Amino acid sequence: MVHNNVGVIITLLVIAGGLVWLLVRSFRGKEIDRRVIFLFIMVSVAAPLLATITFKFTATPIVEALYDKIEALPEGSTVLLSFDFDPAMAPEVQPMANVVTRHCLEKNIKIVFMCLWATGQGQLEITLDQVLRRDFAHKIDGVDYVNMGYKAGNEGVLNVIVTDFEKMFPTDVNTTPYGDIEILQGVNSCKDMDLIVSFGGGRPGIKEWILFVGDPTGVPSAGGVAAVVAPQLYPYYPRQLMGLLGGIKGAAEYESHFRERHPNHADMDTPAIIMMGPQTIAHIVIIAFIIIGNVLFFMNRRRGARS
Amino acid sequence: MRYVLRCVLVAALLICGTAYAQTEDMVEDTVMTAMAPAPATNVNAFDTDNDHGHSVTVTWDLSVDDGGGTGAVTGYEIHRWSPAEMVTLDSLRGLLSAVEAELPNVADSSAEANLRRDSLRLRYAALIATSVAVGDDLDTEMKARRAAVKEAFLAALDGLPAAHARYPENGNWQLLGKVAAGVSTYSDAGGKEPTASSFIPDYCGFHYKVHALTADETVYGETAPFGPVECYGQWFNTGRVPVLLAVLIFGALTIIFVSIARRGADLYVRPLAGIEAVDDAIGRATEMGRPILYVLGLGTAADVATIASFTILGRVAKRVAEYQTALIVPTYEPIVMTVAQEVVKSSYLDAGRPDDYKDDTVFFVTQSQFAYVAAVNGIMLRELPATCVYMGKFFAESLLLAETGALAGSIQIAGTDEIAQIPFFIVACDYTLIGEELYAASAYLGREPILLGSLKAQDYAKAAVVVFALAGLLASYASWGHVFTDLFKVTN
Amino acid sequence: MKNLKWFVLAAVCILFAVSWFAKASGGDGVDNSVLDAFLVTLAAFLTLAIMSFLYQDNPYYKFAEHLFVGVSAAYWMCLGFWSTVVGNLFPRISEGLSNFFLVPYQPGPLNFFFAIPIILGILLLMRLSPKGGWLSRWPLAFIVGTTAGLNFVRYLRSDFVKQISSTFVPLVVDWQGFGHFFSNISLTAGGPLVMMLTNLVIFIGVFCGIVYFFFSKEHTGVFGKASRVGIWILMITFGASFGYTVMGRISLLVGRLTFLFTDWLGIIG
Repeated sequence: MVHNNVGVIITLLVIAGGLVWLLVRSFRGKEIDRRVIFLFIMVSVAAPLLATITFKFTATPIVEALYDKIEALPEGSTVLLSFDFDPAMAPEVQPMANVVTRHCLEKNIKIVFMCLWATGQGQLEITLDQVLRRDFAHKIDGVDYVNMGYKAGNEGVLNVIVTDFEKMFPTDVNTTPYGDIEILQGVNSCKDMDLIVSFGGGRPGIKEWILFVGDPTGVPSAGGVAAVVAPQLYPYYPRQLMGLLGGIKGAAEYESHFRERHPNHADMDTPAIIMMGPQTIAHIVIIAFIIIGNVLFFMNRRRGARS
Repeated sequence: MRYVLRCVLVAALLICGTAYAQTEDMVEDTVMTAMAPAPATNVNAFDTDNDHGHSVTVTWDLSVDDGGGTGAVTGYEIHRWSPAEMVTLDSLRGLLSAVEAELPNVADSSAEANLRRDSLRLRYAALIATSVAVGDDLDTEMKARRAAVKEAFLAALDGLPAAHARYPENGNWQLLGKVAAGVSTYSDAGGKEPTASSFIPDYCGFHYKVHALTADETVYGETAPFGPVECYGQWFNTGRVPVLLAVLIFGALTIIFVSIARRGADLYVRPLAGIEAVDDAIGRATEMGRPILYVLGLGTAADVATIASFTILGRVAKRVAEYQTALIVPTYEPIVMTVAQEVVKSSYLDAGRPDDYKDDTVFFVTQSQFAYVAAVNGIMLRELPATCVYMGKFFAESLLLAETGALAGSIQIAGTDEIAQIPFFIVACDYTLIGEELYAASAYLGREPILLGSLKAQDYAKAAVVVFALAGLLASYASWGHVFTDLFKVTN
Repeated sequence: MKNLKWFVLAAVCILFAVSWFAKASGGDGVDNSVLDAFLVTLAAFLTLAIMSFLYQDNPYYKFAEHLFVGVSAAYWMCLGFWSTVVGNLFPRISEGLSNFFLVPYQPGPLNFFFAIPIILGILLLMRLSPKGGWLSRWPLAFIVGTTAGLNFVRYLRSDFVKQISSTFVPLVVDWQGFGHFFSNISLTAGGPLVMMLTNLVIFIGVFCGIVYFFFSKEHTGVFGKASRVGIWILMITFGASFGYTVMGRISLLVGRLTFLFTDWLGIIG
């Protein structure tokens, strides 16, 4: 389903006209400058963004699995959200982090935030600003959530917190001692978490969480990852990885699914759904290029064979 | 009129009577709700297996009123008997941390700091028998207090087993946690560091009991205490036996095949299309009179992919020397450059043409990823090599290199173990060695016993995977299937 | 041509100044501080400078690239010091150093184990010395050895043993006869038909993929056919991976354009 029909019609007309022009030029045997292709991609991304074209999404089972898991967690459960990404991955991963955090807060689930990437701290602050402080201002630091910050050591950190959380994180980011943080009473290690979700796309990321924490402890692990690494994580689903948001489409599916089932969040920010408009149009253009390229390739081959 | 009044009176009496009866019912209901539910049964507590200690698992059979019966049970509370010494230990721990926090602030002479120290001295006097002189030298005083508190803390730790053995004297029940209805297990796990607030001591006889809760907090069904039970760490984690077996089997296979290869046995490795293509590509370069570009990637000399690439470079350099074609090897890492120079030099020597070797065949470019790519792309467009070989570790630059190579009209052969980059090489190159094929190519060309032996061991491990997958497929239909699948269960 | 370069440079500088002034004076309806306006304008111009490479290589692209390389190198160096040395080491070994760097001291008995990373760290830095360079091999050997040991067991468990057990899937799911199967046929993800197809693809994929990577036998006959199926499955996987990568790259472009349209130009809400 497409919203903003006028926008989509204008966009598609512009792009379709351009593609026909390209096709005609190609049939005439003229070379197409690669910069023309870049321009096409730029237009196909910019036009839907300006016209705010959005589509409706249905959650795929792998996304729904994470949604259902959070939905089924009883109030007061503890979830660990690890921000393992940097600004370069933020356009894809930040929307996932925001919507999953929103879902946990909506369900009154306690959240332990941490980062395995130093740059994750800045991204975590963005999520706290855009979700927690804006829409859940009544939540109390240390009681409903805690920010443990970043700790250097990559897999080494995971190897320690799998048995002793306090050893690696003796204080939270505000230097409150571990023993004084109410939310962490009864939490000694990752084994005491009800769910672990890592947002990332590099190393260390969700794969390391599975290897060092999920598999040894049996704590359900899920992830929100940049599209580039998503295919490499599918082999772990569903036994070792209970749910996965792969790329911006995974985030859009989660946003759509969450918004439908929680009408009180109908006016929440949906960056992923907005980004999927340009994404879809750009994919159509790329597919058109692939088809045109292949048709011309086979035509040229036939011409070559004849001559 | 009298009739009407009589009717009203009768109606009023009836209403009152009904109301009274209902009140009686309500009272009866309240009594029914106030009745304690049936307690949980068969409470059992045991040391949690396969861990480093400091953890006891408590299990029980659900109360008959949990789901069934009156259905009144809303959850369970787990209690552990705690001797008075545990409270002392907690106080000492708090005091120790307070004294240690005070030590860096001895120079602070504000009223607030003095007040804090006075409170600390009072806490100290209440807990420790050894007295410490209060003087001007705060640092000495606080250090003396720290030493005394630490001593008392260690003594209290030592006394914990005896204190727990005294059950049920001088102690009380402590609530550990709650679980929802329908749950029949609880893990009483704590920290291993005595200084951690969650510390649970090993080798102490703990006693547990479970309360079946109702909506009314004051009404619950209580089990008889169970104990004593001690927790302790295990030397061997039996849950990881499948991993140990896999390590042993794979290790043994590697050792066997490496020793067979060392004895000179001819271990067969199938030819790889990408490697066969190298010879043709070198011939093509010779015919065209153009050079061959060999890129070792961005890996260090310690990366397996780069090591495999050295072997392939050796082969390429030997053929190049034989055909007297030009070779260009721009490198990203100084150590990789040094090794590559040695490899090329020895290949020229093997080919019987040591004089043809030039030092600037292998050269260092830069260690900045995209600057390196820009330089290599420049070489491609200027020199127009007939063949480009990319073997080793590649990241975001893979497509940039391969695309430029294609523009330059070169035959391109690539190989990498970076899974994310393989698709780019496949679409832009003529031949691609996918993942492990790169190692296989290295073993195939180099015939090194260690490489050959490892490759053979891996082949047998793969054969084992196929056999296990088939057996697992059959087992999934059989009633005994779980026996087989359990062999692959790694618990923690 | 030389004059054109200067003309373009002047135009870029003027545009930058105009943008900065417009942002700072609230020209886009949002009040920004002078510094915020400068930073947003700088970020926008750097984004455009990098994108200009798509047209052709130029000095603006080179400037942005070198700035990025230099800033990131310095950032990671500072971060390494503050997070590893100051964040992890000092609080465990020295109260004075912890107070100096304003990090909370973690009191505890003096542990000589912490001397090992200090020594290894210094040895690693010996790489900079022409004569003592060989000493850096010891910490490198330690890093390689411990990482290999640590990862070996984890990978063997998660990527080998557990992945083998993940292939133990029944090819026939919820079978109650042909009549029942065909009368209840559905294309839902949890339905028996889709489950059977999924399990079949997993099994054949694993089997044929392994056959392709079996190097001890020539790929002829049935073995060769299975290997051929294996390479097809690999290619489909790479295709999916390629598609995902395209999606990721487009997302990054959308992210940058959103920044330009929203934060810089303020033309979308």
